[in-house]
Amino acid sequence: MHPVHNIVIVGGGTAGWLTAGVIAARHQGRIKAGTFSVTLVESPNVPIIGVGEGTWPTLRTTLEKMGVSETDLFRECDAAFKQGAKFAKWTTGAADDAYYHPLMLPQGFTQVNLAPHWLEKGAGQTFCDAVTPQGVLCDDGLAPKTITTPEYQAVANYAYHLDAGKFAPFLQKHCTAKLGVRHVLADVKTINQDQKGDITSLTTEQAGEIAGDLFVDCTGFRSLLLGQTLGVAFKDCTDVLFCDTAMALQVPYDSENAPIPSQTISTGQSAGWTWDIGLPHRRGTGYVYSSRHISDEQAAEELLAYAGPMAKGLTPRKIPIRAGYREVFWKKNVVAVGLAAGFLEPLESSAIVLIELSAKLIAEQMPANREVMDIIAARFNDVNHYRWGRIIDFLKLHYVLTKRPEKFWQDNLDPATVPDRLQNLLKLWKYQPPWFFDEFDRIEEVFPAASYQYVLYGMGFRTEVAAADNDGTRSMAVNYLHEAVNLTRKLRAQLPRNRDLLQKIYDYGLQPI
Amino acid sequence: MTNIVLLNNQAHRDLKVQPGAAARYGDNQRFVAVVAGEFPFLATHYPILLTKDANTGAFLVGAMLGIDEGENLFLTDRGMDSYRPLNLQRGPFFTSGGDVAIDLDSPRIDAAGQPLFTDAGEPSVYLQSILALFRDLRPGLDITKAFVDTLVKLRLVEPIDISVAFDDGTSRQLEDLYTVNQDALRALPDAQVLDLFRSGYLQLIYLMIASLKQVPVLARMKNNRLLAGTDGLLGT
Repeated sequence: MHPVHNIVIVGGGTAGWLTAGVIAARHQGRIKAGTFSVTLVESPNVPIIGVGEGTWPTLRTTLEKMGVSETDLFRECDAAFKQGAKFAKWTTGAADDAYYHPLMLPQGFTQVNLAPHWLEKGAGQTFCDAVTPQGVLCDDGLAPKTITTPEYQAVANYAYHLDAGKFAPFLQKHCTAKLGVRHVLADVKTINQDQKGDITSLTTEQAGEIAGDLFVDCTGFRSLLLGQTLGVAFKDCTDVLFCDTAMALQVPYDSENAPIPSQTISTGQSAGWTWDIGLPHRRGTGYVYSSRHISDEQAAEELLAYAGPMAKGLTPRKIPIRAGYREVFWKKNVVAVGLAAGFLEPLESSAIVLIELSAKLIAEQMPANREVMDIIAARFNDVNHYRWGRIIDFLKLHYVLTKRPEKFWQDNLDPATVPDRLQNLLKLWKYQPPWFFDEFDRIEEVFPAASYQYVLYGMGFRTEVAAADNDGTRSMAVNYLHEAVNLTRKLRAQLPRNRDLLQKIYDYGLQPI
Repeated sequence: MTNIVLLNNQAHRDLKVQPGAAARYGDNQRFVAVVAGEFPFLATHYPILLTKDANTGAFLVGAMLGIDEGENLFLTDRGMDSYRPLNLQRGPFFTSGGDVAIDLDSPRIDAAGQPLFTDAGEPSVYLQSILALFRDLRPGLDITKAFVDTLVKLRLVEPIDISVAFDDGTSRQLEDLYTVNQDALRALPDAQVLDLFRSGYLQLIYLMIASLKQVPVLARMKNNRLLAGTDGLLGT
């Protein structure tokens, strides 16, 4: 038997440090007893890409389990609240074309499907406003909690917008000081394998040889261990998701007290979409586009026009991207997490949540020895293929209901570019709204049926419903729809402005209880 | 409105203050912040609980005097029979650094009240008692904050749900109140318990726990008051 005691993570970006933290927190007992180790090897010379500034509510649980203080996160990573995404100009491109994908589930979501009841009522409120207060809270610029709400607890469900450049060093400090993660600054020179192909150790320039039982590849797009060393191919998905270039631009606010939106604002442009993320001291904006449909110069112009007067004279930074993922994620004793595993456009902030889910699965299912590792690897690959597939479906969903005339948008409607599962679901959803039966049954499902409802009905899709079919659940649905109205009124009166709460967190901190 | 100025034996030579407890003077408070030195006096009458400052979120410890907002169940026509917390006793006075200040807009300022200074400009007996009170209260604030910070740091604080049903058919759900988490207390390592004992915190903790027995007493007082109110209505 070859026991798994020493975990070596290669790469010190968000993926590397989050994975190190999650594994080390889960195995703290063994680390303290000296029978288990987590080592992170990071080149002193490779810059961090810093994927995405948007996260999911799962990050709250992940950080809390790692023992991170949420107050510190706000103070040190320029974090702000995120309550969802607002999609503007995705359907018609008109000035008033917008809908929300909030982080709160519809009221009573586990009890009753409100979608058919909302559909039955016909015109009136948007689906989002009918079933949850969160769209209104975003419009009002309100925070999702108050200064008396304990750390990580929510009044309205939330995630974070944060400065990815500060997040990785912040995690590093916590992992090394509190969780006993060994940090080695060294360049990997050679990767040593045994006859079966397992990686046995890394020979480094500055720190000699580093041996390990399980290696986690967090080397970013390079995929040094899984891709380059073990030869696992990259599965390209640009036939479904066309965007292959990003252009990023950091824009200052026009005043110190400018409101901070707590929603990511994704706006459809001529050949892709722009993101707009409000941090306390600046906006992070960018344009994700298809280079087949627009030139870099035109894209830069469009981005600058979107970003407004404060962006005048600034130059966007171009980042090539490629939608797709590794054919397997865990091979032999190497598992890839983060960009080394794959990349998808940040439309639904899926990058960091995929890191969290992968790290959690590795930590929870940590194989006891090499002999059982392949069983866990097969499981890990199965779950991750499912997740990546579902995220790709969900991202594509945002494109397939458009009425925009530009070639980029029209090309997205070509059925040859739409995955079969999504095509089938769209057929089905003409007659029944998304619900738990649509395979949304994994323990850790990436997007619940609610997310599909918000996007479908936000973009004007309509499911045929018969009033008689709603009879059985009508009284329950009426109650929950009322509850949404009452909760909206209550929260609007109770919650502070987003920037005001952030200021209070800087001044006083949040209580842990 | 408040108009707080430093106390001065010239300008305020003729000022008189009502020291007694009455609703019109502001003693009708459901929850009053207290200091650690008061715990032994409080624990036999009032629940000693924690709540959060609505502005800063910081924990503060206080005595619960009533069930509804603006209600002090211990207040009668004759004042407060039981121990009156320092924060009520201090009346219109405040400290500002080492000095004493007074709120000139307080309803306690009243020609029928107690003088603050003697004819010679020396502090009166009443003002001397206030100065003595601040000698307890001022350092008490720091001591109490250190105690509360320790409770939070050791995760010994937990929310307490107090819900009471009254005989008039109404009920109350009291929110935003916290007490000592006794399971967490029992789970502390010996070394930490010894620290708590030596610093005097353990005694404060047990006084807080014992004071929880006053919650049903308060509920009974409130119940009697509600029923008396109903009877009164029926009688008219």
